[in-house]
Amino acid sequence: MTTSEAPPRAGAASYLEDHGRFSGIFGWIFSTDHKRIGILYLVSTLFFFFVGMSLGFLMRLQMLSPHGELFKNADYYNALFTLHGVIMIFLFIIPAVPGSLGNFFMPIMIGAKDVAFPRLNLLSWWLYVTGAVIALASLFGSGLPDTGWTFYAPYSLRTHADIPMAVFGVFVLGFSSILTGINFITTMHRMRAPGMGWFKMPLFPWALYATSWVQVLATPVLGITMLLIFVERIFHVGIFNPAMGGDPLLYQHLFWMYSHPAVYIMILPAMGLISEMIPTFAHRTIFGYGAIVWSSMGIALLGSLVWAHHMFTSGLSDAAATVFSLLTFLVAVPSAIKVFNWTATLYKGSIALEPPMLYALSFIFLFSVGGLTGLILGALALNVMLHDTYFVVAHFHYVIFGGAAFAFFGALHYWLPKMFGRMYNRSAAYIGWALLFTGFNLLYFTMFVLGVMGMPRRYAFYLPRFQTPQVIATVGSWIMIAGILVVFTNLIVSVFKGEKAGDNPWGGVTLEWQIPSPPPTENFLEPPTIPEKAYDFEGAFAS
Amino acid sequence: MNPASTSLTESVTHVFIYIVALSALFLVGITATMIYFVVRYSRSRNPKPKDIHGNVALEATWTIIPTLLFLSMFYFGWTRWEQMREVPRDAMQVEVTGRQWSWSFKYPNGKVSSELRLPIDTPVRCDLHSLDVIHGFFIPAFGVKEDVVPGKHNFAWFDPTELGTYDLLCSSYCGQGHPLMMANVVIMPGDKFKEWYSTQEAATGPAHGELLYKTKGCIGCHSITGIRIVGPTWKGLYDSEVTVTTNGKTRTVKADDDYLKRSILDPNADIVQSYPASVMPVQKDLTPQDVNDLIAYIKTLK
Amino acid sequence: MSDVAAEAGRAEHAHEEHRDYEGAKLGMWLFLLSECMLFGGLFVLYAMYRADHPRAFSAGGSHMDAILGVANTLVLLTGSFAVASSITALQRGRRKLAMGLVGTTILTGVAFMIVKAVEWSGHIRQGYFPHSHLLQGKPGEQLFFSLYYVMTGLHGLHVIAGIAVLTAALILMARGKVTQEHFVFLENAALYWHLVDIIWIFLLPLFYLAA
Ligand code: HEA
Ligand code: HEA
Ligand code: HEC
Ligand code: CUA
Ligand SMILES: [Cu+2]
Repeated sequence: MTTSEAPPRAGAASYLEDHGRFSGIFGWIFSTDHKRIGILYLVSTLFFFFVGMSLGFLMRLQMLSPHGELFKNADYYNALFTLHGVIMIFLFIIPAVPGSLGNFFMPIMIGAKDVAFPRLNLLSWWLYVTGAVIALASLFGSGLPDTGWTFYAPYSLRTHADIPMAVFGVFVLGFSSILTGINFITTMHRMRAPGMGWFKMPLFPWALYATSWVQVLATPVLGITMLLIFVERIFHVGIFNPAMGGDPLLYQHLFWMYSHPAVYIMILPAMGLISEMIPTFAHRTIFGYGAIVWSSMGIALLGSLVWAHHMFTSGLSDAAATVFSLLTFLVAVPSAIKVFNWTATLYKGSIALEPPMLYALSFIFLFSVGGLTGLILGALALNVMLHDTYFVVAHFHYVIFGGAAFAFFGALHYWLPKMFGRMYNRSAAYIGWALLFTGFNLLYFTMFVLGVMGMPRRYAFYLPRFQTPQVIATVGSWIMIAGILVVFTNLIVSVFKGEKAGDNPWGGVTLEWQIPSPPPTENFLEPPTIPEKAYDFEGAFAS
Repeated sequence: MNPASTSLTESVTHVFIYIVALSALFLVGITATMIYFVVRYSRSRNPKPKDIHGNVALEATWTIIPTLLFLSMFYFGWTRWEQMREVPRDAMQVEVTGRQWSWSFKYPNGKVSSELRLPIDTPVRCDLHSLDVIHGFFIPAFGVKEDVVPGKHNFAWFDPTELGTYDLLCSSYCGQGHPLMMANVVIMPGDKFKEWYSTQEAATGPAHGELLYKTKGCIGCHSITGIRIVGPTWKGLYDSEVTVTTNGKTRTVKADDDYLKRSILDPNADIVQSYPASVMPVQKDLTPQDVNDLIAYIKTLK
Repeated sequence: MSDVAAEAGRAEHAHEEHRDYEGAKLGMWLFLLSECMLFGGLFVLYAMYRADHPRAFSAGGSHMDAILGVANTLVLLTGSFAVASSITALQRGRRKLAMGLVGTTILTGVAFMIVKAVEWSGHIRQGYFPHSHLLQGKPGEQLFFSLYYVMTGLHGLHVIAGIAVLTAALILMARGKVTQEHFVFLENAALYWHLVDIIWIFLLPLFYLAA
């Protein structure tokens, strides 16, 4: 099929206009175009982000007073943090970056027309929606789900809540994630444009490559664990129930064997995004390309060996605790390497502090705070004090929200002009960022203090001595609300009303900047020119 | 540091300070470098960027130095922890039982208490048992924490060095009553403790009922002050009119001895209106005398 | 723009997707890898529990009918052999033979499930199921039977899935969609069946020969 000369070329229209076989909403939800699927993921994950946020907001209100400002019945608060955790982890942060930006940009960045299995890709999104609906249906079951996102046995085997429904939903979501992983790995192996060698690939695809392996290898373990809880509840077999000879710690092992690698599923793509934004706004090549690639693979590998650091106080054997603590410290090495290389990339650059860059730099700061407090948690003697306190809550909000979600928001600013061909309002973007950043630190840094004071997590009510910091944190959450509302109002308005953006507003050198904004269905109207090296700014400016 | 206001005890404060100081150093260093570069190489100051692809010596430096520092952090954390795991020979043993949603403590001489009373400066080893789900044995003031896992024999030990009353909290999520699953840890002078330790509790009657109320878990769900927790309050319960559901039918009964006995031994026979069924555990280890004592105790709560 | 043109573009896509045999096979291998991890979790559980209750596990194993287990193994192996041969047959252009061989595999799958059903109902009739009185107070055996039902049950679901995939392959062959040149679907279906087979070969000693 070499009819490329025919004037109205197939797929030359922008993907936003070319709705394919169906029209209207069906042109989206049945589209196999990776870009349209990317937008589907974007809309649906952001929807769940807003739901999860509103729950987080309610939790903060409850924490205003020691006896519970909102609910006198702990059941409601317990349901809040359970749903908040499940939604934020399984419905937002795990699928968000790979599903939306990964789907949209990875094929373009490697010079491909689409992913390897477009229909499977659509199926993944449908499975995601199905899993979400099933998980949320558990709300209307025999009682509000109240186990926390970890579903620890034997509590999850006893509670009256509709846990089978919830874990089945998570199982389906896992499937969706596995299929995306398979699709991405195959795409990167088989669909790179001629001339796009492995080590010319930009770092975002590389990060997705590492992530996909974790998804393919770790998610099934979560799948089987959830399935076991499911059969245990429905058919009364005994696997984890101590009353039937089972060992609840084995549940925890299996759960964290997935869920620790899952935290790298959340952070690796985000790190990829940072590695895109920093060179573009510094107008120079990334420092230590190879080091960043290999550290991604190192994180994926080492990250699968540290799961039991969530179980130091559970009665793990002393030898196991020692080994897992040691490995936990080793997995921090590749993250440190990345942080240093990003910082070095600023050296002798020509830096434009555009909003995406501001997010990228805040990522480095917030992720470092989160990561360094992870080290405190990984030290055995300290973990004993801090496990299951607000210190842990603060740690993971710093890495997940301050890390993964900040990178995501930054990348939305970075790629919005490419995805929709329109630019956002810059001053609104700066104001939104400032509110978000201030509120964020006020909210979560206070939680470190609470943790050190000994405030346990998952408490609907608390001792009066914790009140002052709790109130400060809640005020922080209000500032953050304001920030988030500004950020998203700005982005949403500009999708429809923003000024037209050029094809390459930032002067980027990766392939997505060579094509029109918004991209045509076919992605590349003529075969892309593959640069000599990844991030070859000198070459780009010389020509 | 004042141990009452923080969860860090002295033995680990050093580790904490070491890791926090190193982290702060690096955090400040990286942030400052970042800001300096952003200002120094801003587009207006430095319009012409320079592509620098990398530097092997630098890469090696910032791989090896952090690795060594990380290993040192591991080492300090680990050695202090080893000490925390080694129970002194002369430690007193207390059996701690956690259940939804209360604690009880059993001493070597068979004494049972709802408070963890301990003599000062005597190391204590707590053997942790759970009757239902996982709980967390957490005393912030002494920096002890260990999960209480059904079917496992976990333990924790500490050396109470200051007089006073401290909180024992449940750190591992265990359901509705999780935030209320608390007990007092009372550190007493040695002689006062001995006195308390050697007094016998009443073996029958309302006083024994009260002890059972506190140590058999009832306290986790039933208040004696009139407020509603998980189950109905016991205040004014005796001889009151209670609306219950029996075999699906709603009826009103008088809370007499018979009714209370049935409610205790077979909680699902009559379900009190507006409360959930099969939440209250079946009480297997109560003797008939215990039940009578509990009822006698309830009688006193006018 | 022109819908016709867009449609053509899509057809081109669809075409390419089928063309990349290497890609399709790589995808399948990745999927099989994730399946292995799925069962891997269960094997880990089995190993841990067996280490805790070695005697109870061999007592549990003594209730198994090793003859049925071995017979079922042979049934599955026959199926695997048949489906492997069918690929060769198709490559040599002998479509009818290939279809017959796939049909044989499907029949062996059905036979396997029938034997499994007989076994399960036998155990349940004798009272060996997780919540039964016979196992009360014997945590090790309870675990053994729980794992037995879960693992063979999950394997059974995979057999059913395999039968469905092979049936699809059969239909595609009949319609001329899977042919001498384009047989990657059959290849992948066969790979899946081999996986089902291999997992069973691990289950056999763990349960039937555990005594
Ligand atoms: C995006 C998600 C994410 C990421 C990336 C991480 C990263 C890390 N996490 Fe975190 N973690 C979570 C999400 C994440 N975590 C979640 C969700 C939980 C709680 C789950 C629950 O219970 O609900 C958790 C809980 C958790 C615990 C268990 C706490 C407990 O319950 O007791 C531990 C303990 O070891 C830990 C450690 C670490 C470490 C060592 C890293 C490391 O990878 C961090 C490495 C990074 C750095 C170290 C910073 C950058 C480096 C430098 C700036 C170099 C210079 C520094 C020096 C040389 C000193 N995490
Ligand atoms: C992606 C991950 C993610 C993100 C982004 C967040 C975001 C937030 N989380 Fe987090 N959180 C988790 C993941 C995440 N969380 C997880 C995994 C847990 C553990 C759960 C468990 O224990 O099982 C947890 C637990 C957790 C706790 C601890 C509960 C406890 O242990 O008792 C708290 C407490 O305050 C909290 C608060 C918040 C807040 C205030 C936000 C803020 O970001 C929210 C910011 C937004 C707002 C402040 C409000 C915005 C409101 C509007 C815009 C209103 C208008 C909208 C409508 C009307 C639709 N979260
Ligand atoms: C896990 C929570 C829980 C624990 C522990 C618990 N109960 Fe209850 N109890 C309940 C609930 C809920 C009800 C109301 C529903 C019902 O009747 O079963 C109840 C009802 C009762 C009643 C009837 C009260 C009335 O108002 O009519 C009595 C008497 C009682 N419990 C005694 C006890 C005793 C004695 C113990 C301890 C040995 C105990 N309970 C422990 C939850 C609990
Ligand atoms: Cu007991 Cu939480
Ligand atoms: Cu972890």
